Amino acid sequence: MVPAVKAEAASAPQNASPDTGSDVIIETRNLSKVYRDFWGRQKVRALKALDMEVRRGEIFGLLGPNGSGKTTTIKLILGLLFPTSGQALVFGKDATEVSKNERIGYLPEESYLYKFLNAVETLDFYGRLFDMPAAERRERVNKLITMVGLDWAKRRQLKEYSKGMTRRIGLAQALINDPELILLDEPTTGLDPIGTREMKDLILRLREEGKTILMCSHLLADVQDVCDRIAILHQGELKELGRVDNLLTVQDVTQVRARGLSKKAEAELRDVIARHGGELVAMENPTTTLEELFLSIVRDSEARPGRRAQERG
Amino acid sequence: MILDQEIPKFFDWFLQSLIVAFPVTIFCVAFFGWLIGFLISATRRGPVEGFYAVAKVIAGAVSDVVHFSLRRTIAMTMLAVRESLRRKVLIAFAVFVVVMLLAGWYLDVKSDQPARLYLSFVLTASNYLVLLLALFLSTFSLPNDFKNRTIHTIVTKPVRPLEIVLGRVLGFMFVGTVILAAMCLVSFFFVRSGLRHQHQFSVPEGQVASATKGQTTTDAHHHHTFELGTDGNGMTDVTAGHTHSVTKTADGIQVRPPSGMLQARVPKRGTLQFFDRSGKPGSGVNVGSEWMYRSYIEGGTLAAAVWTFENMTADRYPDGFELEKDIRVFRTHKGNIEKGIRGSIYLVNPNPAAKVKTSEEIPFVAREFVVDKQFIPRRLKAIEDGAVRDVDLFEALTHEGKLQVRILCSDPGQYFGMAPADVYVLDAEAPFWWNFVKGYIGIWLQMLLVTTFGVMFSTFLSGAVAMMATLSCIVIGFFPQFIVGVARGSIEGGGPTEALIRIVTQANLSTDLDLPNWGVNIIRALDFLFMQVMQVGANILPNYGDFNTAPWVAYGYNIEPALLGMHLLRGLAYFVVVSLVAYFFLKTREVAK
Repeated sequence: MVPAVKAEAASAPQNASPDTGSDVIIETRNLSKVYRDFWGRQKVRALKALDMEVRRGEIFGLLGPNGSGKTTTIKLILGLLFPTSGQALVFGKDATEVSKNERIGYLPEESYLYKFLNAVETLDFYGRLFDMPAAERRERVNKLITMVGLDWAKRRQLKEYSKGMTRRIGLAQALINDPELILLDEPTTGLDPIGTREMKDLILRLREEGKTILMCSHLLADVQDVCDRIAILHQGELKELGRVDNLLTVQDVTQVRARGLSKKAEAELRDVIARHGGELVAMENPTTTLEELFLSIVRDSEARPGRRAQERG
Repeated sequence: MILDQEIPKFFDWFLQSLIVAFPVTIFCVAFFGWLIGFLISATRRGPVEGFYAVAKVIAGAVSDVVHFSLRRTIAMTMLAVRESLRRKVLIAFAVFVVVMLLAGWYLDVKSDQPARLYLSFVLTASNYLVLLLALFLSTFSLPNDFKNRTIHTIVTKPVRPLEIVLGRVLGFMFVGTVILAAMCLVSFFFVRSGLRHQHQFSVPEGQVASATKGQTTTDAHHHHTFELGTDGNGMTDVTAGHTHSVTKTADGIQVRPPSGMLQARVPKRGTLQFFDRSGKPGSGVNVGSEWMYRSYIEGGTLAAAVWTFENMTADRYPDGFELEKDIRVFRTHKGNIEKGIRGSIYLVNPNPAAKVKTSEEIPFVAREFVVDKQFIPRRLKAIEDGAVRDVDLFEALTHEGKLQVRILCSDPGQYFGMAPADVYVLDAEAPFWWNFVKGYIGIWLQMLLVTTFGVMFSTFLSGAVAMMATLSCIVIGFFPQFIVGVARGSIEGGGPTEALIRIVTQANLSTDLDLPNWGVNIIRALDFLFMQVMQVGANILPNYGDFNTAPWVAYGYNIEPALLGMHLLRGLAYFVVVSLVAYFFLKTREVAK
């Protein structure tokens, strides 16, 4: 079955979600980036005339295969790169303006942190960069370390951390200033399924707190699980942009899910579909996702240590 | 000590620098920075957008200055300190201690001037080690941040490029200062303990009671002779750059610890006026390969060098004063090479209407490279109306506190070479430890320059290239005369390209290049460009030799506060300008790739 995906033009009006405002937090206008070599010759055209908006309170996903321009877009929005043409605006200011960083948190693709610092020193250092007074910094550092579950390892140097732990402390540094806008570059990379789920839960929680989140990922399931709207990039060009539920809705297919139906009732349903000229695509017991199965086993194991997981029906 | 240029008066220098040199430098840096920035930007985006981009950078710079945060800068500083410690900078100090411990193997213990040797050694060792440390620390830090992308998590916080640059410089300077202070302390005790020695009286015990002159035992590879006065006190002769006081007591003759070894003499300098061989005011003679700074007077003629000293009062010098001379000798005939050249000193009243015009001749012998001390007593013989009589120096020969010292060369055919700093009145003795610290402040300033330049280059170059660039600046800074000489073509062998070809082809410096005319022309054209750049570089870059005050400490002269002040301000000026340049480099570069 090929689902008919409803395409939504970049310029088309979006369906406003009840929990998202209309304020534009990020806006790119004809944003383009060409990488050049030492002699100024064009090496690669990483981004071509990107127009998009990210609104207050939404989770916006940049989706695309490797080399599609996702990270370049985030770096342009952060001011780490300068656009070849076009403009990126964050909170209405040019992306190269440092003052915008006061309200931003950024988790890079890999946590680029100083390995010779421990968790407390790391967060304290980044807190200082936000000019936070000592008392506020101390409180915020303790709260974030507890939030990312690193209390037990907060005095260990980051060079001793596993990838997942480094990712957590990376996330904590991105939240040190209680930012309004959080940019997450491949946030679930390097995390185990539990970490991935926690990260996704956290992203959703941050949205509930009113934060705006821009994330990029090539893990489609992650994006589908958390994002309100997505933009799909390929070879530096915007291919699709819109609400996830709209984009993924298959308009000509109706799905009915019921529990406790007998064989007789299923047969009646088949008859009804046939009577109304519909085509029965599938009537079967659904399967859970591997992620759900894994998490369920882990939870069960934690509840009853030393036993095999219970048999599932 | 060779002081080959006059030290200007601090306030003259300060006003000139503050009103002229510093603003002009800032203007030039700003103008050329703007121009180069505009040209690069215009090439990429066209003139209008280019202009807009440059204007935006300048506006951003103003905003960055306004939003400068000390807390963020301190955070960056602390990060640089931690990073330095992680890179095991303390190894530099360990190397220094090892060098000190092994110094006995290679220091010449029989030196005529052991204090000079020890002081030069510790100051030079500290200097090179600290500069090397600053070079490595400053040039690899930022490039590593770019390479490891740790800079991404920094610049996405509200940190201004100026705070990043200053944080790096201050952090490395903090580490360097702590290490340098430790080196200073270790060196001080090393020198003190290395030079400490004690002599005994070497006459058999039975003869002590009657002895009035004698010799000390040989310790630390030297001995002294001495003569006691009627009061039983005396001084030994000057050997190995020091003396000992000797006292006769009931227990025998006691030789005290050395004195005059570690000193910081404060010279009172005067103004110098030359008189030619006919006795008329003029200039001295240039004898050839000498600095223009030093002139010569001919022996056996009326040619003279006259210093005028001010504030020569009885209050300041109640018993008389010590005159020190470091006179150069130029012989037109060998004469008796064992003996020095004879000269005369006259103390002259600067008032032409004074009754007593001059003192009687005070003879002396000048030896090359020897600082000659001469005590001028308060009571001395002077000539009044053709008759010699005893006078009070300050009553008879000074006028409004001024005193002139006229020096003549007595041996015909020989010359005395003199410069303003060569003859001076010994005004006081400053504390040696403070002079020693001032010597280390000179090293500290050099470290500041290397660190600032290193950080500046590392904002846009990779670690290794930044290190080479900084090293080139140090080399140019230590030998600016040579670089300017090459740039002006006054040094044989041509410019860099020609010199390289001569090295490869092993061609003599004075022969023509064995190439066709067009080849020579191309080489000379290339060299012309190189030489212009070199000349600009030699004039812009700091002269590290100027900051090196080690000779002052080693030769026992107090580093004048004016000189120290000038060095501090000059170092600060370089720090400000180079930090600004670094700021713009960092601000206008892309952090990510």
